[in-house]
Amino acid sequence: MKAITLLGITAIASLGLAQDHSGHQMAGMKKQTELPAMPRDMPAWLAAPGADHLFYKAAPYNWAINRIPKFAKDMYATGVGHAMAYEALVRGEASTLETKTFDTINWVLKNQPAMPVDEGAISPTFLRKYGYLEKVFDWAHTLHFQTIDVFAHPGWTDEQKEKEIERLWAFYEAQPYAITGLPMNMDYLDSFSYSMKFRTDYPKVNGLFWGYHWLQTVNYDMLYRVPVKDQAPQYEVLGARYHETELYKTDRDFMPMTAEMSPRFAKRFPQIANAFDNLHMLHDNVNDILAQPQLTEAQKQEQVKIAIYRVLATTHISETPGESEGKENSLHDHRHPPSMPGMGWMKGSEDDIMWMSGMGWMDMSACSHCSIPMPEGNPWGATVSAEGWTMMVRCLMCARDMAGETPGRAIIRAATNDPNRLLVLISDEEGNWTSNIDGIVFLEKYGEHPECSGWSRAFTTLAALEKYVSENPEYKDTKPLNLAEWAALNHGTPDTYRKIDKPNPYKPGPPPAKGGGR
Amino acid sequence: MRRLLLISGLLLSSLAFASDHNNIEAGRPLRFDDAYSIAFRERAFEFGLSLDTFRRRGPTYGNKTEFKYGLAKNQDISVAFEPTYSSSERRGDIGNVEIGYFNGLRREIDNSPALAYRVDVGLPTGRGAKGLDLRFRGIATKALGQYDKVHLNLDLNMNTNPGPGERRHTVGAVLGYSKPLGYPRRFDQTLVADFAIQQSKNEGDGFVGSVGLGLRRQVSPRAVFDIGITSDIFSTKGAERSPVRFAIGYSVSF
Repeated sequence: MKAITLLGITAIASLGLAQDHSGHQMAGMKKQTELPAMPRDMPAWLAAPGADHLFYKAAPYNWAINRIPKFAKDMYATGVGHAMAYEALVRGEASTLETKTFDTINWVLKNQPAMPVDEGAISPTFLRKYGYLEKVFDWAHTLHFQTIDVFAHPGWTDEQKEKEIERLWAFYEAQPYAITGLPMNMDYLDSFSYSMKFRTDYPKVNGLFWGYHWLQTVNYDMLYRVPVKDQAPQYEVLGARYHETELYKTDRDFMPMTAEMSPRFAKRFPQIANAFDNLHMLHDNVNDILAQPQLTEAQKQEQVKIAIYRVLATTHISETPGESEGKENSLHDHRHPPSMPGMGWMKGSEDDIMWMSGMGWMDMSACSHCSIPMPEGNPWGATVSAEGWTMMVRCLMCARDMAGETPGRAIIRAATNDPNRLLVLISDEEGNWTSNIDGIVFLEKYGEHPECSGWSRAFTTLAALEKYVSENPEYKDTKPLNLAEWAALNHGTPDTYRKIDKPNPYKPGPPPAKGGGR
Repeated sequence: MRRLLLISGLLLSSLAFASDHNNIEAGRPLRFDDAYSIAFRERAFEFGLSLDTFRRRGPTYGNKTEFKYGLAKNQDISVAFEPTYSSSERRGDIGNVEIGYFNGLRREIDNSPALAYRVDVGLPTGRGAKGLDLRFRGIATKALGQYDKVHLNLDLNMNTNPGPGERRHTVGAVLGYSKPLGYPRRFDQTLVADFAIQQSKNEGDGFVGSVGLGLRRQVSPRAVFDIGITSDIFSTKGAERSPVRFAIGYSVSF
């Protein structure tokens, strides 16, 4: 307990230090003025004429995504958007992007195909010009789908699934088209003379793209270590949010990052989270290059190849995560927040403190609700998903009270006494919770926040709670709570909560009034 | 019998799903190939039923089963069996076993077509068959407009031991056309059409010209259903024609 208290004090002190920076201009990279030059060591496959189609890893879990039909159809529809926009851009139809093309993509996103879509067939003109890029996209999308399939497969234990995810990563990485799993400096990758062109000129279509990058990343915490039967009910909440809000947001500061949307997954599989973010950044780079009318066709071809080169695994051989010495703000800057290896270095980041779009400055090493450092090891506490964000918290009380402060439906995923049974709580609009575990019981003896992960816990059975109490006699007079009793409690914003008050590094103006930067 | 049904049910359910309706292969349902192999490491079964009608004799029923494997990038190998039953002869024929190799040389880049070739060897396992049937096919695929494509297949066929009155070498050509149906609202079916001309195996007979129309439809992430109809529309020097040929098929990848 002393250790936890000490950690808490340290955290508050470190937050205080962070706050000392308020008012300072966060150093983001300046936009480069020259186009990047072609590296000398471009991989030979970029000039190879073959189609080089690759099949996914044969396995019993393939297409298990269809066990969550609404999610599967939404994922299949995401294949259409970029393909249609790229086709329009290379056919000289950029002027239709925000109108006709947007409407067409949006129609498909609302009337999703029942099966996966061959992106190359939808964008044949683009494919004839940028076939090498399609190889990178296709292979990464295969990894996307197969990792989802593993988690949605009902026949395996969590341990079997985690081992298979590692094998899938090795299978993916063995191909020359593989994107690096190292964290990359996102600020650097978004600093070229063409950067931000697409999101500036085509905000609605870019909103759709970032909206389905949200979907492609938010799903992993929905699936990871969650029993298969408890996956689809969460998609009722996330799918509604996706269609009602996330697809049409045009005010995001930056693309959604995997670790923002699925922090548990990103912590466990940082290489995959980083590869997805690097893939999405490549998409953004390509959007920007194709949308840049000043570039000639030859320059676009060259810049797309350079953009691919930047994120390929082969470009970063022998480099290690966290490494940056002398390479800060460059292609080989692989810093990450110390507590989140599955996240590249963001604009204005300082150690674990980074700007999250819609939330403000957040400390990834601390509970989003009480600002006390997250406990080490398992149980890891809980996450709260609401209003499009997913945040890590120390305990169930923090999860409940944070969800209670947020309008709309919410999902809590929390550790229980049984490491193989994850508690999934879903609330309706009125804050009524349902649980995936019948008979779940809670211990909550309100006390000092630095110790909340000890006195606020969930147990799969009353016997498990009693066992815990017998080992921790300080809780012997605490009444076990059923779900309704527990849900009725609310302790509001804890006094340990510290807001990090600094300006948005992406846009001028005050930080958002709510969320982590509330 | 129950066990057999169970095994076939399990086989179908485990296979029941990535052939791609956009990736066109000879026989499924028309006679032309596009210039793209199946994917590296992909395994596929293709099942087909056919009915050939003739003016001078009764129909022939065919049942083709083909297994394909993506041997390497842009290359696949295949083995096919096509037993047939002739209603006029009232007997079946196990048919030749065909072994094939496909090599995609290049994808379509800018205005240059995709190019490929395939080599098929027919082993003389069928009734009365002698020698090897060899076929070399050159394939080109090129866009026509935005989504439509044309496919040109040029065939050189050879039999190492032709029978009396049979040609050792024959030539043929197929001009194929494919068009995705339903874009930009649906993405699961492709219309296919072809015009083919094939030299008769029989010395003294000329060429047969035919047209075909078909549809390939994705029925699951891994399976494609196809249906097609072909008609020989002309022949020269008395070559035998099939007024109507129906083909129906199902392809699954795993």
